[in-house]
Amino acid sequence: MSDNSLMKTLATYDRRWVYLVLFLVVVGPLLRPIGMPISVSPDTKQYYEAINSVEEGDKILFTLNTEFSGYNEIQSGIVATMRVFIEHNTKICVAVGHPEATGIPELVFNQLRSELDANGYVYGEDYVILGYVMPNEASVASMSQDFQGAITQDWLGRSIDDTFLSEIHTWEDWDLIADFTTGLATTYLLNHFALRGTPMTVNCIGVMIASQKPYVDSGVYLAILQSMRGGAELEYLTGHPGPGLTAMDAFTFGHYMLLLFIIAGNIGYYGYTRQQKRGGE
Amino acid sequence: MKMAEILKNRQLQIAVMALAFLLVFVPYFIEVPALEAASTKLITITAIVNAVTLILALQSQVRRGLNIVQRRQTGWYFKAYMIITMVLMVVFAFFGRETGPYHWVMYAVVNPLSSVNYGILAFYMASTAARAFRARNTQAILLLTTGFIVLLYQAPLTGAYAPWLEPIALYFGDTFGMAAGRMFLISVTVGAIVFGVRVLMGKETSVLGVGKEEV
Repeated sequence: MSDNSLMKTLATYDRRWVYLVLFLVVVGPLLRPIGMPISVSPDTKQYYEAINSVEEGDKILFTLNTEFSGYNEIQSGIVATMRVFIEHNTKICVAVGHPEATGIPELVFNQLRSELDANGYVYGEDYVILGYVMPNEASVASMSQDFQGAITQDWLGRSIDDTFLSEIHTWEDWDLIADFTTGLATTYLLNHFALRGTPMTVNCIGVMIASQKPYVDSGVYLAILQSMRGGAELEYLTGHPGPGLTAMDAFTFGHYMLLLFIIAGNIGYYGYTRQQKRGGE
Repeated sequence: MKMAEILKNRQLQIAVMALAFLLVFVPYFIEVPALEAASTKLITITAIVNAVTLILALQSQVRRGLNIVQRRQTGWYFKAYMIITMVLMVVFAFFGRETGPYHWVMYAVVNPLSSVNYGILAFYMASTAARAFRARNTQAILLLTTGFIVLLYQAPLTGAYAPWLEPIALYFGDTFGMAAGRMFLISVTVGAIVFGVRVLMGKETSVLGVGKEEV
């Protein structure tokens, strides 16, 4: 292959090569994890400290503002955070912001069955699943100002009167909001809970990080957990490896592959595309 | 004058909107228990009305879908599929949501389809990033260099073996990234306030479903 044809290949490669290589570098490590070391970012340490500071009996609103799709990106953070809350014997209320997410609590609790049993968790006494209760701003505002007026039953129609939720009336009664989000009702929770003073943490997908970090910097959020990478770091800190850490090998290879394609594309750009443009001038 | 005409009166609609706005807005600044109770009641009523509109949306979708199916318009079979699945899910829900057909559809159909949709995005994003990052000029070189460093840091293995990269990558995020994020949030907020004021002044009647906005 001549230099020119190599440069041309680098500059004009078919995008399907990217798809193929990405598929291979992601599927390979997922099927056979290597267990590469990872570093823990300062944001994740701050998040871990925030969720680890909850006390027994604290009432936590655990909000899943995600669909099944986004759940795959942040499930490691969801499960690891829930595990910390269960180990601290907190009272957990799960609410969701998307109809699909009504199926997520089961996926989460199924992974934590042994922790629930070990800590004697009983449905109603220690945790409640409300289901889809946050479709819009009015609903969230209503939950924040008059919880008993807005919510009367759980997602299967059972009354919440005899549960720990009977002690919740306004935003002031929650000790923490742990939000897991692809961007659905998070702004409403921010407006009607966090900005009023309810402590709040957030675990968001990658594309939301830039828009959510200013709220950590200004003190509105206690901390932020960034995407799947943050979830993996949290699994590492809690000492319970899970889907996040398993995915980190593929995550690393995927990033390196992308960097190599960018380098190759730029070599091709300078070696071929630019020359062609100059030749045409 | 008929009741319908009175209710369609633009000034009346704007007046009702302004009153509703004040009822929710003022209690944030002035502590009057009666006003707060009224505000809370109004918000709860709005939440309930919003929930009921879901039924309206369902009815409207089915009616529109049936119309398209009956006329055999382009893509009518998608509408037929939508109506059938919608009705099926409602029927399935009556057999329980923790087990049975609803549960099966949720975990064996909706979950994998939703996840695949999301997973496919990774391929498009990787392809786009690989092909779009070209050092065409000074600005592009700056963007490329920053992106390269941040991407390298985001790979978990790099952080473990090249810790010196962390402060550089965090610097970009905590300065330029944070500034851009704040600028975006402040712009959106100021824009929303301006829009709200225009609505209250009657210059944005589109929210009432009548007429066109005035400049």
